[in-house]
Amino acid sequence: MEVYIAGKGIISAIGLNVEETLQSLKAGKSGIGTQTNLTGRRDSNLPTGEIALSNAELASMAGLSADYSRTALLSMIAAKDALADADINIKGLKCGFISATTVGGMDKTEKFMASFIRDGEVKDIGRILYHDSGAITELVAEALGIKHFVSTISTACSSSANAIMYASRLIKTGVLDMAIAGGTDAMSLFTLSGFNALMILDENYCTPYDDNRKGLNLGEGAGYVVLVSEKVAGKLSKAPAVKLTGYANANDAFHQTASSPEGKGNYLAMQGALKMSGLEISAIDYINLHGTGTANNDLSEGMAIQRIFGERVPKSSSTKAFTGHTLGACGGIEAIFSMMAIEQKMIFPNLRLKTPMKELGFVPVTELMEGVEVKNVLSNSFGFGGNCSSLIFSKVN
Amino acid sequence: MELFIKGIGCISPQLTYDNPDFLPGIKKYAGNRMMCIEPDYAPYFDAGSLRRMSRVVKFSAAAALIALKDSGITQLDAITTGTGYGLLENSEKFLKSMAESTGPVLSPTSFIQSTHNTVGATIALITGCNAHNNTFSHKGFSFESALIDARLMVAEGATHVLVGAHDEISEKTFALMEKLDVFRNNNEADINAYEKGSSGIVAGEGAAFFILSDKKGESDYGVLMDNIIFYHPENAIEVKQHIEAFLEKNKLALENIDVVISGINGDAKEDAVSHEINHLLFAHQTIVLFKHLCGEYMTASSFGFWLAAKILLAQQVPETVILKNRHRKPGYILLYNVFQNDHSLMLFKAC
Repeated sequence: MEVYIAGKGIISAIGLNVEETLQSLKAGKSGIGTQTNLTGRRDSNLPTGEIALSNAELASMAGLSADYSRTALLSMIAAKDALADADINIKGLKCGFISATTVGGMDKTEKFMASFIRDGEVKDIGRILYHDSGAITELVAEALGIKHFVSTISTACSSSANAIMYASRLIKTGVLDMAIAGGTDAMSLFTLSGFNALMILDENYCTPYDDNRKGLNLGEGAGYVVLVSEKVAGKLSKAPAVKLTGYANANDAFHQTASSPEGKGNYLAMQGALKMSGLEISAIDYINLHGTGTANNDLSEGMAIQRIFGERVPKSSSTKAFTGHTLGACGGIEAIFSMMAIEQKMIFPNLRLKTPMKELGFVPVTELMEGVEVKNVLSNSFGFGGNCSSLIFSKVN
Repeated sequence: MELFIKGIGCISPQLTYDNPDFLPGIKKYAGNRMMCIEPDYAPYFDAGSLRRMSRVVKFSAAAALIALKDSGITQLDAITTGTGYGLLENSEKFLKSMAESTGPVLSPTSFIQSTHNTVGATIALITGCNAHNNTFSHKGFSFESALIDARLMVAEGATHVLVGAHDEISEKTFALMEKLDVFRNNNEADINAYEKGSSGIVAGEGAAFFILSDKKGESDYGVLMDNIIFYHPENAIEVKQHIEAFLEKNKLALENIDVVISGINGDAKEDAVSHEINHLLFAHQTIVLFKHLCGEYMTASSFGFWLAAKILLAQQVPETVILKNRHRKPGYILLYNVFQNDHSLMLFKAC
């Protein structure tokens, strides 16, 4: 039983839709900059991959109330686009919405809590009503008209890769015919302050896989794909060009926030995905790296890649220098970058990489490559709690 | 696929661990919240880890370790957890440190342990388990999704899966919910009061973990036959259709069900559908309630699962949970839970 991808929808700092995103990727145009929506803390001066629209503007794109969390607005915009792109009538189909988020409605909650904690002020208590992750998913599911099946995954930075995986497994077992799966996370002071307290934010624009990398930049966004069964794929107006052929979820079981030096969890996730796909390692044409830009992540991931691929590491790049680290959304966003690599015959560059890491024998791609046959892409998402997930996307012949 | 229940661990507002008796009496709570009776954690965790763990991490990881010990199994092929609100106390702590100064926050500890997957990750760390590890956070489907994931994992070849759920009452969120007027202040912990219903819920919390496997053993508690979720049904008629279709899928008729564990929480408005279903479908079954024991929270159905497992093993239903019809011997049990219009069904049978 194969699972095909019939549509995609994305919003991030480098574009409000698929087309804009592709143009930015081709032009090497990064979305990292000074952030403006969040103020009031010293952490808010750090560079981020912020989407340059206010909540009111996003709400109007989403067709939802601007009172809702930015996380829900981003989710709706990308999920709606994905469904439209698939050009599919969900009526009569067992359709699921499997979303992922780490911050949920924290952008609203943190505003409320600041004055509540300081002054006991409860005037804006309505802000916390959609705090929890599931509430965000249900707001969007309602708006999309999806009633059959909903769920939300929250495994830190691997969340949306796990949502795509879960959706695929539900389709394979016949629980669902199709699913919109991916993730969403808005920027929040909570995550900015948290990552800053961990001292893993770069004060300048992040430089993943550079020997002098100083940390990550946070980003925000949402990315969803429409997964369909073979049967549904056969009935679509537009034949799917990409299928999901492998995936695995493993745990590093090493530390709450740090990866093991050898990247055990990373290794197991990639190895598991390869095994499921049945592909030889030489069949992987491109790896979309997790590549956050922290000292620890890039080294562990790089070591695990070398352990699997030896001296024949495929072309690779981290796209987080474009978008920033979008946390619970990055697996969904990067699933779409992986699809674009296959569809557009392109490999997107790892921006700002000047000095290759001395520990590694491979160097990610630093210039846009066009006209390359990309048949199979491995996409990595690794997170806090040792949660490591890898997905493999393959070209439909 | 049938999943055999091999081990259980539950830390709740009742004494649900280290207790050979099965709910002989219940602990009553007068106010609007019911909090966990926590064990001495020293046998479970080393002192260094204990210092770093928040209350929910402690009682949840301990519940998981109790389930593991109970099953005698050491090798896990997957860990799946559900939590509605995640790690509230740590999130609040971090928000407080942010509110106290506009400069950089100095300690990342509470932030590190604020992600929803903290408990699942902690269990993986303690048990050295590199296998599939997933955390669901979806209101009244959090534990249910973890169960579905566990079922999928077994279908894909896993032998032993640890599945569980956790939610905590935290100081600030509780205070805010009080202001939102979601609680009732006259908790009688009396099953009849729950049936009669009034306005509001009593807050609860807890962690329940289970070892599930497709391999039958000598000392299994019982069998989880199937579970489904359905989202925002229009009315009781739609719920009735879901229940009938679910039983039919599992080749059972209504009259095969001996015990119905109902998620009635005492809020008359929210319980209306459950009452109607009991009236429409289950006039002859033993009706069991459980939220008078554990309170209401997004993953309270995991306490219902614990109760089902205990009933199946004991082959008797404790008086303290029976609402009506005490004569049925527990062969097949149906758990029907509702949380803010997220509906779920779990079907169990005795071994």
